[in-house]
Amino acid sequence: MNTLDQLSELQLDALTEIFNIGTGRAAASLSDIVGSEVVLSVPRIQFFQSSEVNAALLSLNSPRIGAVRQIFSGSVNTNALLLFTEDRALEIVRDMMGSQLSTEELVEFEQEALSELGNIILNACMSAMSDLLHFTLHSSLPTYSTGPTETMLRQIIAQTDQPTMLLLHIDLTIEKHQSQGQLIFILSSSSFHELLAHVDQFIANI
Amino acid sequence: MEFMTQPDARVLLIVDDSRVSRMVIRTLVLAKHPQWIIIEAASGDEALTIVDRDTPNYCTMDINMPGMIGTEAAAQILAKHPGTRVAIFSANIQETHQTRAAAMGACFVAKPVTGKTVAQALDFFESAR
Repeated sequence: MNTLDQLSELQLDALTEIFNIGTGRAAASLSDIVGSEVVLSVPRIQFFQSSEVNAALLSLNSPRIGAVRQIFSGSVNTNALLLFTEDRALEIVRDMMGSQLSTEELVEFEQEALSELGNIILNACMSAMSDLLHFTLHSSLPTYSTGPTETMLRQIIAQTDQPTMLLLHIDLTIEKHQSQGQLIFILSSSSFHELLAHVDQFIANI
Repeated sequence: MEFMTQPDARVLLIVDDSRVSRMVIRTLVLAKHPQWIIIEAASGDEALTIVDRDTPNYCTMDINMPGMIGTEAAAQILAKHPGTRVAIFSANIQETHQTRAAAMGACFVAKPVTGKTVAQALDFFESAR
């Protein structure tokens, strides 16, 4: 069953626009941090069953990936993850920290810098959602992990018995570094239906 | 500018790839100006065609859209029709876009589309009258 089939064109449009606002806010923060323009693609949303998710589906064609994970709770409970290919991660950290740092120093800051990056992007998306749909969300601190792509994905899927995954694809270019990030929001069936009820309310209020 | 003779009948072009955003802008504008004529476009290219045909008085323009980005479409509209008042209505709130909007004489309004942000655009439109 593909839960995407349950969504009307208008529901999908509203959700995409909410994430567009979220990633726009995130890009503004990132741009302030790295001191250059961050070019964003129009976000694309897809829904999947957890069991369907694999590296090819996520277009993560890299042997290793990094993941920043944060748990949001409230009306809608979601396990939110930012996934990115590891080879780009150090370049982004270099942009964030300034180019005068040595590679050794960069590696030392990697975990902290990428947790902060995830924190900015995930919170921007979720706060746009809570602002526009009028509900309150609490977030956990971000955790960062890295490993072989398939192992990481198996762990992410195994750690949840929640069936629905909302996938958000964004292409993000910082100056000359082209980087693709995937955001994953893992939702239980009840949270998924709660989210759609809020989206319907939002549309009804127009 | 055939609508200039009827001061209440202004034409507004709403450019946004999101149907929901277009609906919200349309609803909020019509609540204040029920006599305005609203035209919608889902892309920058579509907007350029409409502007040549209908010469709207005002235009709201999204930035992140498939195809031509909104700031480029706005620049082309203003180059050809300098009398049009353009409000760049965008979630992409980075300094570069705000500066570019100001440089072309457009007004920059940060999304989300709400009563407050639509009022900002309307103030800008009407300051020209």
